[in-house]
Amino acid sequence: MPAYLISRLWMAVWVIFGVTSLVFFLIHWVPGDPVEVMLGESASAFDRESLRQALGLDQPILAQWGSFLAGVFTLDMGVSLFHQQPVMALLNARYPATLELAAAAFLIAIVIALPLGLMAAARQGSRRDFAAMGFSLLGVSIPNFWLGPLLVLVFALGLGWFPVSGREAAGAVVLPAITLGTSLAAILSRMVRSSLLEVLGEDFIRTARAKGLSARQVLVRHALRNAWLPILTLLGMQAGALLGGAVITETVFNWPGIGSLLVESIQRRDYPVVQACVLMISLAYVTINLLTDLLYAWVDPRIRLGQR
Amino acid sequence: MVKGRFILFCCVLLTACSTPDSDSIRFGLASAPTNLDPRFATDAASERINRLLYNRLVDFDEHARPRPALASWERLNDRHYRFRLGTAGRRFHDGSRLDAADVAATYRSVLDPATASPQRGTLAMIEHIEVLDRDTLDFFLNRADALFPGFLTIGILPAAGIEAGRAFHHQPMGSGPFRLRSWPAPGRLELERTRDRQIIVFEQVHDPTMRVLKLLRGEVDILQNDLPPELLHYLAGKKGIYVRTHRGSNFSYLGFQLQDRDTGKEDVRRAIALAIDRRAIIRYVFRGAARPASALLVPEHWAGNPHLDSIETDLDRARTLLARAGYDADHPLHIRYKTSSDPFRVRIATILQQQLGRVGILVDVQSYDWGTFYADIKAGRFQLYSLTWVGIKSPDIFRYAFHSDSLPPGGANRGRLQDARIDRMIEQAMVAKDTQQQAKIYAALQARLLEQLVYVPLWYEDQYLAARDGISGYSLATDGNYDALQSISKNRYTIAQRGLQDAR
Repeated sequence: MPAYLISRLWMAVWVIFGVTSLVFFLIHWVPGDPVEVMLGESASAFDRESLRQALGLDQPILAQWGSFLAGVFTLDMGVSLFHQQPVMALLNARYPATLELAAAAFLIAIVIALPLGLMAAARQGSRRDFAAMGFSLLGVSIPNFWLGPLLVLVFALGLGWFPVSGREAAGAVVLPAITLGTSLAAILSRMVRSSLLEVLGEDFIRTARAKGLSARQVLVRHALRNAWLPILTLLGMQAGALLGGAVITETVFNWPGIGSLLVESIQRRDYPVVQACVLMISLAYVTINLLTDLLYAWVDPRIRLGQR
Repeated sequence: MVKGRFILFCCVLLTACSTPDSDSIRFGLASAPTNLDPRFATDAASERINRLLYNRLVDFDEHARPRPALASWERLNDRHYRFRLGTAGRRFHDGSRLDAADVAATYRSVLDPATASPQRGTLAMIEHIEVLDRDTLDFFLNRADALFPGFLTIGILPAAGIEAGRAFHHQPMGSGPFRLRSWPAPGRLELERTRDRQIIVFEQVHDPTMRVLKLLRGEVDILQNDLPPELLHYLAGKKGIYVRTHRGSNFSYLGFQLQDRDTGKEDVRRAIALAIDRRAIIRYVFRGAARPASALLVPEHWAGNPHLDSIETDLDRARTLLARAGYDADHPLHIRYKTSSDPFRVRIATILQQQLGRVGILVDVQSYDWGTFYADIKAGRFQLYSLTWVGIKSPDIFRYAFHSDSLPPGGANRGRLQDARIDRMIEQAMVAKDTQQQAKIYAALQARLLEQLVYVPLWYEDQYLAARDGISGYSLATDGNYDALQSISKNRYTIAQRGLQDAR
């Protein structure tokens, strides 16, 4: 197990290195110069050169890459070209919002998806199954940019229960979390149902039933436990995506998360912020994937990590 | 029963928690300010908010003529100006007095290459500044520029703060009618009006639909611009909301690459201008909230030309011109039209594509994110593009946008215009002795530009606002500034009463 962990961590370092380096070169390669965006067209060549020097953009691209990597190790990601604030301060201001929204959406998704998937699997072919899968289809099909305003119309404008957008007011996370959690719940409930149906056909389930266990005991204690692996994989991938910021939901609900910061920074060619955001996102993905792999062994004792 | 009461209690609690209730006036913005240091701010939101935080030497009247703000001036000769500070706006928010030394320190700081201020290029004509006493200072220029006072619009910072390296971008210190109260998050900024401590909260809400919903629910009190016309129209019919419009000066145009094989031909440019039905676009897309343009400056500008003829749609003539330029059904004209990825701009582009298609011009619309689009335009990688000049006050824009010395990256002559006559007129206007003579030259210059069709002038978009009923005292400015926040007030009784009436 420790050897497995070390090898995974070593691999994670290379993945993060690869992703952040790729993004570093891509963002410098695409057209659009932050100096031009900042100074406008009235600046002289001298002014442009001065600012380029001040920002370190006059250095060869490999030297800039070296400074960026050095910054990663010292946790000094530089200063935002536009906000003129340390990038880490911007991330510290934004990442808690992303975590809050991701956690709330995740919770909503699990609370909806598990009972729905269980019910659909237990009553396969029934009206309840059709209703559950109908909801799931609807949840996957409705785009967030449409569902968000719809929820606002009903629950904020109509009933007045929640604020329209922002993060300051009480209950502000509810509508964006439902928006984000609905599609996740839809995918997850389908996965729970299909995994359970596969397991419910196994011999050990028949044995459990023959022992006289109740349908509920069979479903929850025996079937669900054995159906967890694919569900965990999906949860891990989705959690990574949520922690990477949900640009559309953040934009619609004016949620000050890392996704909208990344998009704004790409548009402004704010290189240090883009690089730091991508680093954070890749870190989140890698960590969640690692945790998921470790959870496999816990959920299914037959899996021994690191053993061939 | 108990369960039912609990649910009812939760609902009431939720409603109470999220009911907007505030004495502050909340202003919804599409883009938040990024920099509150007037030496560095370049985005429109930062510039408009900096006008509230800082006072400046010179401002503009309704005809965009420079007028005294902090100081009046005297032209001692064509390279020497004397400024005398008046009595108003002379206290910084920390109580210290604003003196000529502060003005000199601000401008010297902008001119210092080490500061790397984006404003430095515009003020490159300043050779040096001399402070005569606490209220008087002289500006010496390295070249004559009759428009010089109109460039002194940068907010004045305290010299001590500049010397101490204060982070004005986040901790502004000016002498304007508002002071910074707090800036808790990048998208939320709170200012306090110094005369009565009225709080104004600027809140960024990216999505226009959400801005409108927040206004309807009372989470914001006022919205200005950046709404699609259909949303503005929707708001106009809503109870408890009023909508106002005002003539604007932001100039939208189609720009041509003049060194291109196709768009370099005057006949092609004229055919495009004649094929466009601007009045239909203004009527159906803008719902009348724009007016056709014939020149970069609005007709009421002191240097504008109100006598220019508007280009009217003439499809037959457009086809004739295209045929004369060598294009027909077998050899149609193909044009690449670049625009930003803003949905409204893309919508306009597709309408223009359809209109130009009526005379056989095949338009390939290419939309890009702002950084890529802007880089392409500056590099001359386009045939046709659309953009808007925002907040233009000084006729120096003609030198900047059309003089042959202003090719990018040193200026905004994006179409690569090389016209000796236009260059000469711009230079004559810069050294003209009085504004009357200047106005005459600029009027002739705009006629020449329209004749050459360097741009196809499209329209000036109106300024508009939508506010809740209790908001009063706010009027729109032609350039969209927020100066009227100095007189805005909020009557909570009116809003509450309206809410009750709606409930009934």
